[in-house]
Amino acid sequence: MAAIDDKFERLMNLTAALLDAERPLSAEYIHEHVAGYTSDGESYRRAFERDKADLLELGIPIVLLQIPGESLGTLGYRIERTDYELPDPELDPEELAALHLALRAVRVGESETLGTRALWRLGGVLGADDDNPDASELALGALPTDPSLIPLFGAVLERRVATFTYGTSEGEATRSLEPWRLEFQRGHWYVLGFDIDRQGERNFRVDRIVGPIETGPAGAFSPSGESRGERPFRPWNPDGSGDQPVTAILRVDGEHAVTATELLGTETIRDVEIDGATIYEVPVTSWPAFRSFVLSFLDHAELIGPPELRSDLVDWLGTMDDEGSGS
Amino acid sequence: MTKQLTAAERLERMLAIVPWVAARPGGVTLSELSDRFQLTPTQLEECLRIVWMVGVHPYTPDALIDLTLESDHVEIRLPDYFAKPLRLTVAQAFALVAAGRSVLSTPDADPDGPLARGLDKLAAALGSDRSSVVEVELGEHSTQVAALQHAVAERRQLEIDYYTYGRDQLATRRIDPWTVQSVDGFWYVKAFCHNADAVRTFRVDRIRDIRDLETIFVPGQQSPRIESFRPTDDDPEITLDLAPSARWVVTQYPIRSTETLVDGRLRVTLAVSATQWLERLLVRLGPDAEIVSTDPSLASCRSDAARRILRRYLK
Repeated sequence: MAAIDDKFERLMNLTAALLDAERPLSAEYIHEHVAGYTSDGESYRRAFERDKADLLELGIPIVLLQIPGESLGTLGYRIERTDYELPDPELDPEELAALHLALRAVRVGESETLGTRALWRLGGVLGADDDNPDASELALGALPTDPSLIPLFGAVLERRVATFTYGTSEGEATRSLEPWRLEFQRGHWYVLGFDIDRQGERNFRVDRIVGPIETGPAGAFSPSGESRGERPFRPWNPDGSGDQPVTAILRVDGEHAVTATELLGTETIRDVEIDGATIYEVPVTSWPAFRSFVLSFLDHAELIGPPELRSDLVDWLGTMDDEGSGS
Repeated sequence: MTKQLTAAERLERMLAIVPWVAARPGGVTLSELSDRFQLTPTQLEECLRIVWMVGVHPYTPDALIDLTLESDHVEIRLPDYFAKPLRLTVAQAFALVAAGRSVLSTPDADPDGPLARGLDKLAAALGSDRSSVVEVELGEHSTQVAALQHAVAERRQLEIDYYTYGRDQLATRRIDPWTVQSVDGFWYVKAFCHNADAVRTFRVDRIRDIRDLETIFVPGQQSPRIESFRPTDDDPEITLDLAPSARWVVTQYPIRSTETLVDGRLRVTLAVSATQWLERLLVRLGPDAEIVSTDPSLASCRSDAARRILRRYLK
């Protein structure tokens, strides 16, 4: 109890001293002038290292700098106010309560406390009572997280170029991106921005980023790209592929037409037959992606045309039929 | 009963509380602080008793935080180093923004309401001129979701035509819908299913039709959270060698183990909870997947499926 009190007091004093300092404070100065450290040099150093780690863990930006006027290489610690202080967003009670409600409704990753800790800093937790377990009507869902999301989000906010290794069907490649925003669609996180190497707008699946993300200096670009609005997920005809699409004609059985229409879009419907079977005309630039889509219906769909795609599909299936039974 | 906070947990709370109180010159009540910052009155008093001794060298009264604590009332006047709260960490900011944007993406959300306004102000405080740095789409099928949410709120029993993807089967079920939630990008409804006489979770995009049975049900006692699908230990396994172009399988299916082979292919072992989804996976992968070993029950799965589909083409 007393030990926790002492440590808490020392951490407060250390934070105050580093925020109040006009020039970086040397380790010796801190030892002598911040209340709460023991006189023994070795145990002071251990305690100071642990305290420093605790402050960094909370996000307190302690920096180690050359002390002006001292010989070169004499370093000291400081907290820059501009990096520490939260510009007051002036959230009113209604807005704080709405943010709290959102946190209760949607779980982001495994940690339940990250968002509430953010609310303390923004002015506190208002509205719904956290101790009330009967929150079934509030629960709205869960979003998965990925270790790459946090550094990417930091890069989006601070407009830093992000460089990372990306796994694709052709293997791994390094990409440099001006990241504009993060999007969660159909169960996956994407980062969208300007691909510097390929000079165009691109998006990347965050879970296909391999290893750490390196970021450049802040304020390196100004983001463009409007809010996406409705951009349906159609990998067989992705945005900006530049290729001339082929029109594929597909028949889907009545029981499955609802799903097919949802995915293909109502504008592709050419005809609905008497038993509900639906005929679609679909612009296709990526045949492998469309083949995969068609086959996900198993024997409830049939590719009517064009003939070259139909015969490719038959060949594709033929290789699998032969190997299994040997017939 | 009160949980003992660590020194760092107290520090985090006080770096938020001290500037908040200092910004209110008339002071505030302890009970308001304890509600707002989620501390028990005991925890709060323990912290405040120490805060009034905090300051900078030489720790003379004018260099200390000036705190008065009288019965239920606390006032703080201080040197300016604790005038503003600490910035959010990037992870905290992300959790808050992602949760907020998720709720805003739902059919009932008010685009000009307090949540939208709060997120705009938050984005500005985070240094962004746009609140759309994160976009979330919890799932499609908003009409069905709205109908189901309505039924949950009103406790109305429903009849649904549901397509079981794994078994490739369409059936009608009578359900008491308990909760509608989005997990990993798809909407689900958790319900008591009268046909199965058990609790079941249904994917909303596989519900073909919804009919209101005009009956009010009594809600059951169950955890409100819908968890992601996980295969069980009893499910049969299949081991595949995947070409580099088929590596996406790893991020989309329940994988038991993976191993990179010397030729660059990836050996993966999958748990198979239903034959039809394996059929779909194998016919889509085609030559990009080589079957290395499999439970006997799955051995003819790929050729059976391929032959069934081919029947539509070779008539």
